[in-house]
Amino acid sequence: MDTETPQIVISRVMEAPRELVYRAFTDPDHFAAWWGPIGNSLPRDEIEFDVRPGGYQRWTEVFPAHPALRVHIYVDLTDVAHGELLDGVMHVTGRLQDGIEPFETRFRVEFHDEADGRTRLEIRQWLPEHLAAPSEQGWLEAFTKLDVTLTSAHAAAVDVEA
Amino acid sequence: MSGTDQLSAVFSALADPTRRAILAELADRDATVTELTAPLPISMPAVSRHLKVLERAALISRSRSGKWRASRLEAAPLREAADWIERYRRFWDSSLTRLDAHLATVRAAGRATGRTAHDPTVPDSTVPDKVDDKERSWTPKPRRSSSRV
Repeated sequence: MDTETPQIVISRVMEAPRELVYRAFTDPDHFAAWWGPIGNSLPRDEIEFDVRPGGYQRWTEVFPAHPALRVHIYVDLTDVAHGELLDGVMHVTGRLQDGIEPFETRFRVEFHDEADGRTRLEIRQWLPEHLAAPSEQGWLEAFTKLDVTLTSAHAAAVDVEA
Repeated sequence: MSGTDQLSAVFSALADPTRRAILAELADRDATVTELTAPLPISMPAVSRHLKVLERAALISRSRSGKWRASRLEAAPLREAADWIERYRRFWDSSLTRLDAHLATVRAAGRATGRTAHDPTVPDSTVPDKVDDKERSWTPKPRRSSSRV
């Protein structure tokens, strides 16, 4: 999998030093305060982190506006460098949105120093393998979206190389 | 090809604007190399090379019979993949916006209690390597579900 191009490439500069941004990803109290879109919530007593190579990050996401949903995220951390890198496979199970099957996705988050005490996050994510399977409908709709997605992914990749 | 190899081939085939233009053309009707070349600013051999890439990615098929070898768009695997990518891009975007706000809150709290370790003007080497209890002491308590909306 390592050699394959990620389908999602995001580069973003945060207004905080690297150590603090890293902690926001690896300290349960920090993490619960920001992870996910507005409207989700992470019960604190269901967050278990053991951040080290071979360790894990586990939590549950609930959505007050959609009480039927209850999403369990188990991350197996394959590679961790304190303050610099989180790399692993995210397993998503539980009561998911209609039409979404449990899946797993590889991701990689790199933390880089930027000028003035800021931090550049480099986020990579890989499509779940089951989505490689062909499906019949909707190709052209997807095509329009992909055009946009690929263009912005490419732009991000160029930024990174620059 | 395995599923993931196939997917890589699809994405790299789609990364080229000329190949996307060819696919858009084939969305209307099957077409020969000659027909596909007409609206494009490139040569017929160049179009042929693009068609080979698209064929390897199984995005098109080409008839084997007759003098006019027509290319056909293969309605294929991409809708789910595109939806998934779209969903996760939105997910990261809103998460990182919240992260931004969270970091600002944490740093403001740090300044308010007189801590300077995370001031942007202080070199990074002064930032402790490990989380210790003192660091935790100014971590804001996570808000419970109802207050977060």
